[in-house]
Amino acid sequence: MNMNLQFLAMTIFLTTIFFHIIRRNSYTASAYAVQSLAVVLLLFRSFLATGSLSMLLTVILVLAIKVFLALHLFSNFVKKYKPGVSATAYLNLPLTLIVVAALSAFAHSRVFAPLAAIVPENAALLSLGIAGMLISLLLMVNRKGILSQIIGVLSLENSIVVFGLFAGLEQSAILQIGIMFNILVWLIITSIFSSMIYRHFGALETAEMTSLKE
Amino acid sequence: MTEFFASSRGFVVLLLLFAIGAAGSLLFNKNDRQANYWSNLFACAGSLWGMFVAIGALVAPEPVAFTLGFSPFSLLRFSFLLDRLAAFFLFVISLIAFFCSIYAIDYVKHYYGKYGIGTLGFFYNIFIAGMLLVASAANGLFFLVAWEIMSVASFFLVIHDRDEQENIRAGLLYLIMTHLGTAFIIAAFLLLYRSTGSFDFSAIQSGGAAISPVVKNAVFVLSLIGFGTKAGIIPLHVWLPAAHPAAPSHISGLMSGVMIKTGIYMMIRVFLDLLAPFPLWWGVVLLIAGAVSALLGVLYALAEHDIKKLLAYHSIENIGIILLGLGSALTFLSLQLPTLALLGLVASLFHTLNHATFKSLLFLGAGAVINQTHTRNMEELGGLIRLMPQTALLFLTGSMAISALPPFNGFFSEWLTFQSLFQGIAATDSRTIWVFVIAAGSLAFTGGLALACFVKAFGAVFLARPRSNEAQHAREPSFFMLAGMWPLAALSLLFGIVSGYVANILQDVAGTLSVFQGFPSPFLLAETGRISAGGFSFVSPPVVFLLLLIALFAVFTAFNFLFFKKQKTTFGPTWDCGADLTPRMEITSTGFARSIILIFKGIMKPTMLKSVECRDGETRYLPKSREIRLGISNIYDTCLYKPAQDLALRFSLYARKMQSGLINMYILYILAALLGALYFSL
Repeated sequence: MNMNLQFLAMTIFLTTIFFHIIRRNSYTASAYAVQSLAVVLLLFRSFLATGSLSMLLTVILVLAIKVFLALHLFSNFVKKYKPGVSATAYLNLPLTLIVVAALSAFAHSRVFAPLAAIVPENAALLSLGIAGMLISLLLMVNRKGILSQIIGVLSLENSIVVFGLFAGLEQSAILQIGIMFNILVWLIITSIFSSMIYRHFGALETAEMTSLKE
Repeated sequence: MTEFFASSRGFVVLLLLFAIGAAGSLLFNKNDRQANYWSNLFACAGSLWGMFVAIGALVAPEPVAFTLGFSPFSLLRFSFLLDRLAAFFLFVISLIAFFCSIYAIDYVKHYYGKYGIGTLGFFYNIFIAGMLLVASAANGLFFLVAWEIMSVASFFLVIHDRDEQENIRAGLLYLIMTHLGTAFIIAAFLLLYRSTGSFDFSAIQSGGAAISPVVKNAVFVLSLIGFGTKAGIIPLHVWLPAAHPAAPSHISGLMSGVMIKTGIYMMIRVFLDLLAPFPLWWGVVLLIAGAVSALLGVLYALAEHDIKKLLAYHSIENIGIILLGLGSALTFLSLQLPTLALLGLVASLFHTLNHATFKSLLFLGAGAVINQTHTRNMEELGGLIRLMPQTALLFLTGSMAISALPPFNGFFSEWLTFQSLFQGIAATDSRTIWVFVIAAGSLAFTGGLALACFVKAFGAVFLARPRSNEAQHAREPSFFMLAGMWPLAALSLLFGIVSGYVANILQDVAGTLSVFQGFPSPFLLAETGRISAGGFSFVSPPVVFLLLLIALFAVFTAFNFLFFKKQKTTFGPTWDCGADLTPRMEITSTGFARSIILIFKGIMKPTMLKSVECRDGETRYLPKSREIRLGISNIYDTCLYKPAQDLALRFSLYARKMQSGLINMYILYILAALLGALYFSL
C-alpha cells in the first residue's frame, strides 16, 4: 500500500480523534484546516494520476473553501463569540476515548467487512474512513458548543470524501464542484445563523437551547 | 361503436372530459355562473360517456384491458381492466353522477358569492374521475393513487361549506378515518406484493397459490378494515353520519349513493377475484358485520331528527344489507355451493344498484327541502307537501323504495337477499346455520324499522303543518333540480318492474368472476321478468306491479263511486276541543321514534334531557313549556375511539420524552439508527 496514502488517511483519522481531545476552539479550527489539507492532497494526487483539469479546479476550490475560508470564518467566529462558544463535552476525556476506541473497533469489525471489501487492497483505509465518519458523528453528539458541531459535520463530510476516494467511488468533477458550492453556502448560512442565535440567546451552547422545544 | 367506447381511446376521452371540466372550473373561478355551467355540463358529458364506456364493456365478449402512458416506477403501471364487474360499477357511478350533475346546475346557485364555485366544480369533476379510476384500476399502486384522488377530492367537497365549524370537524374526521383505512389497504397490498412479487391484479390472481393461508387471512382482515371504513361498516362508520350531511346535497348523494360502494367493489375484487379459495370464517364475518350494520344503522337513523344524518345512517344500514348478500356468497363458496354463492352475489350487486338510485334521490330531495327551509332539523319542517308537491312525491318514491315496498326496486333486491339467507338456512350445516338465521332475522327487523323510519321522516317533513317560518315559505325547487330527481324516481320504479331482466344481467356480471367459471346451471332463473330462486320461491315483478295498479284503481273506484258519490260534501272547521290547532299539537319525529328507541335501549343507550319552563318561577306550579331532547350515546366514541385516542395520547406523551430539545440527542439517535441499520443490513 502506498505510504503517502496511508499517511494522509492517518492524518485525517487522527485529526478526527484530536477534535475530541482538544478543549480550545481555535485548535479545533486549526485541526480542521489540517484535516482538509490532507483531503486536498489526496485529491491532488488524484489529479496527478488523471491529469484532469476539472479535478485541478476541484482541488483549488477545496483548498480555498475548506482550508482557507473555513479557517478564516472559524477564527473570526472564535474571536467574536469567545465567551459564548464552549468546548466542553458531555463525556469526560477517558470515557470519550473509550467510546472512540469502541467505534473504531466496530468500524474494523466483520459488520463493515462488506464495505471494506469494495476495494480489497484499500480495506484498511476504507475502515479508517468508516471510523472517521462514526467518530465525527460522536463529536456532534458529545460536544456542547456549536463550533464543534459545525466542524463535526464538516469532518464527517471529509471522511465520506476519503471513503469515496479509496473505494473508487469518485464522482464527476462537476458533482464535486457542486458539493463544494454546497459547503460554501452551508458555511455562510451557519455563520449567519450562529450570529443570529448568539444575538437572541446570548449563548452558542446547545445545552442552553432546550427551551426552544414547543 | 361499443368497441370504441370500451377501449383505451374511449377511456381517455372519458378522463379528458372530467379533466377539462376540472381545469375549466378553476379557469372560471371568478365567474360563479360560468364555473357552475362549465363544471356541471362537463360532469354530465363525462358521466354520459362513462355510461357508454360501461355498456360497451358489459357487452364486450372479453374483458377489456389496457395500459396508459409511461410510469417512472417499475411497480406502478397505469393499467386498466374493464371486465363486467368493473363495468357494472362504472355504470352505477356514471348513472348517479349524471343525474347529480344535472341537479347541481341549479342547486349550487345558492353558493354564488359565498364560496368559490370554481373550486367546487374542480373537486367535483376530480372526485367523479377518481371513483371511475378506482373501479377500473388493475394495479395495486395505481389503485391506491386513484383511491387517494377520490378521498382527497371528497374531503374538499365535504368542507366546501366551511363557515360552519361542524363541517370542518366532520371533514377532518373523514380525512383521518379515510387515511386510517388507506393505511390498512396499503398494508394489505404490500402483503400481497410480498407473496406474489407484483402489484398487478392479474399477477396476484395467477400467483394466488403462492399466498400462504396466514397471509391471506391477514389480507382479508386488513382489507375488511380498510374498505369497510370507506363503506361505513359499524364500528368503522363514525365519519359517515358526520361527513355526508356536511357536504352539499348532490355530493352527499354521490358519496352515499356510489362512493361508499367503491369499498364494496374492492371487497368483491379482492376477496372473490384475487384471493379465492378462502376459509369459511371470512363469509361468516361478513354476514355478522352485515347483520350488525343493517340493524344498528336503521336504529340510529330512527333516533335522528337531522334529515341528512338520518339518510346517512340508512346508508350504513344498506351497506349492511349488501354485505349480507356478499357474506352469503363467500360462505357458500367456502362450502362448495357456487350456484347459491352466485345468488348471494347477484343480490348484493342488485342492492348496490338500487341503493345508489334511491339513496341519491333521497339526498337530492332532502337537499331541495334544505335549500328552501335552511334547516336540516325535521322538527322545524312539516307541511311541505302542499308547498313542494313534486319534491314530496319524489321523496315518497325514494322512501318507498328504501323501505322495500313493492313494486319499487328495493323490495326485489331485499327479496333476493332473503332468498340467499333462506338458502343458507336450508342448505348449510350447524356450523353456519345460526349465522344465517341471525342474518335473516336482522334483515327482517331492518326492513320493518326502515319503514317506520321513513314514515317518520316523510310525515315530519311533508305532512301536517309547517313548524317554522322557513317551512311556511318553501317553494318547489327549480327546473334542473327536479330534472335530476325525476329520472332517479323513475329508475327506482323501473328497476323494480324489470328486476327479472336486471337480475339476469347481474348474473352475467357476477358469473364472469373466476370463482364462478365452469358452473353452467345457475340457481337463479329470470325468465319473462319472473325471478325464480332454484324453484324454492319466485316472484314476478310485472305481475306485482299490475296487481298493485289494479288494487289501487279498484280502491279508488270503489271509494269514488260507492261511497263519495252518494255523500254530500260539507266543509267546516275541525273540532279542536275548543283550542286552536297549531303545529305544536303535531307528533314530532322524536315523539314518533321514542317508543321504538326505548324498546332497543339496551343497544342504543338513549339519553333524555327534560326541561320545564314555568310561568311562575318560584312555585313552579304552572308549566309554560316542556322540552324533551332525545339523544343516543355514542358508544363507539366512549368504548372504542376514545380509549384508542387515550392510548395514542399516552404513547405520544411517553414518546415525547425523546424530544429533549438537545441537538446532541437527536444526532445520537441518528448515530444509533445508523449503526443499527448497518449492523442488520451488512
